[in-house]
Amino acid sequence: MDKAKMRSMLRCVLVLAAIALCSGLLLGAFNVLTYVDPLQSTYERFAADTGAQFSKMADETGKTYGDGSVVYYAVSNDGAYHAFLTEGKGGYGGTVQAYVYIKEGKIEKIVIGDNSETFLSKLEEADFYANFIGKEVGSLDVLNTDAVSGATKSSTAVKNAVNAAVQYYNEGNGQEVLTQSLREEMIAGGESNG
Amino acid sequence: MDKRKVKETLLGGLIRNNPTFVLVLGTCPTIAMTTSLSQAFAMGIATTFVLIFSNLFVSLLRSVIPDKVRIPCYIVIISTFVIIVQMVMRRFLPELYSTMQAFIALIVVNCIILARAESFASCNKPLYSMLDGVSMGLGFTAALCLIGIVREFFAGGAFAGMKIPGFPAMEGVGASAFGFITFGCLMALFNFVMQKIGERKERMKKQSLPLSEGVAELGKEAE
Repeated sequence: MDKAKMRSMLRCVLVLAAIALCSGLLLGAFNVLTYVDPLQSTYERFAADTGAQFSKMADETGKTYGDGSVVYYAVSNDGAYHAFLTEGKGGYGGTVQAYVYIKEGKIEKIVIGDNSETFLSKLEEADFYANFIGKEVGSLDVLNTDAVSGATKSSTAVKNAVNAAVQYYNEGNGQEVLTQSLREEMIAGGESNG
Repeated sequence: MDKRKVKETLLGGLIRNNPTFVLVLGTCPTIAMTTSLSQAFAMGIATTFVLIFSNLFVSLLRSVIPDKVRIPCYIVIISTFVIIVQMVMRRFLPELYSTMQAFIALIVVNCIILARAESFASCNKPLYSMLDGVSMGLGFTAALCLIGIVREFFAGGAFAGMKIPGFPAMEGVGASAFGFITFGCLMALFNFVMQKIGERKERMKKQSLPLSEGVAELGKEAE
């Protein structure tokens, strides 16, 4: 190959590699500065969405149900809220995360978390979440709910995410993990305050 | 530093070459992110940040980047700043981030940013390039906010998330089709006003010319 051509090609590769390396280092530095522990951010989100206090996850390992899965599950310190971070597959941009809150056996609130969907606003416009909010969890058939036209995939992912929380709650998973240890801690805390 | 060039660069992006109303660039985020004022503002500020820093770095590296690989280099620089915006938003504005996540990532392919890197930053000094980023970004933000105010008012009967008493929400007005209509109407209004201002300036200029030059000018027009 011509020497001049070779040199010009090498220069192109080196410049591009150098720019990519610098950008990688810059992103690494920003990642250190802005990193949040997923558990910690979930606690903060649970507390912000419900106004209740959460001090311990009842389940950190989660469980999968078909295309949906429970990532974290916690019960608020006063025992009123059952809070779930769930994921649903099948979205247009992949997985959709949802925060699902159950109070007194009914779905109290659903907040969408990490996602790459461009049509989620259509779900709100079509009042899609009203299919679940305020409904008794025991008799809820999430997967057979009608999807929103024009956002079928996003609806499906949200349904899978909500369904995971509903299945988990109905099976009574995790509630036994709320456990002695947490109750004991709460009691101990109460005594020491007293 | 040339004061005239600074003024021209600053006003260029805001008014004369407004990226949304005059150059009609970045239509995708314009329609998708203008359903409310808060989203429009956040999108505009995120884009402005990326524009300023991508312009700065493209300009600083303009003599180093070989012509053959300039576009991949620009894309690497632009995407770095987009990811920084994503990281910062995820950390400090998680709720807003979850509603805008997909569109923030799409800033990488926003044609305003690539167009400014290619047509301005690659052949101007860093300071002017940054100023161009500021002016283009603010021009984009202002246009987005204007469309956002109109759309939010008609679709939700609200201003910046606050309900205006006596104005009911209109069904279906929040859809993209109405977004396009709003965009078109505001673009027409903007260009109409700019044309009128231009004509007025031209008339004033002619009136202030000395008599002999004014006659010569009129003669040229008659020809």
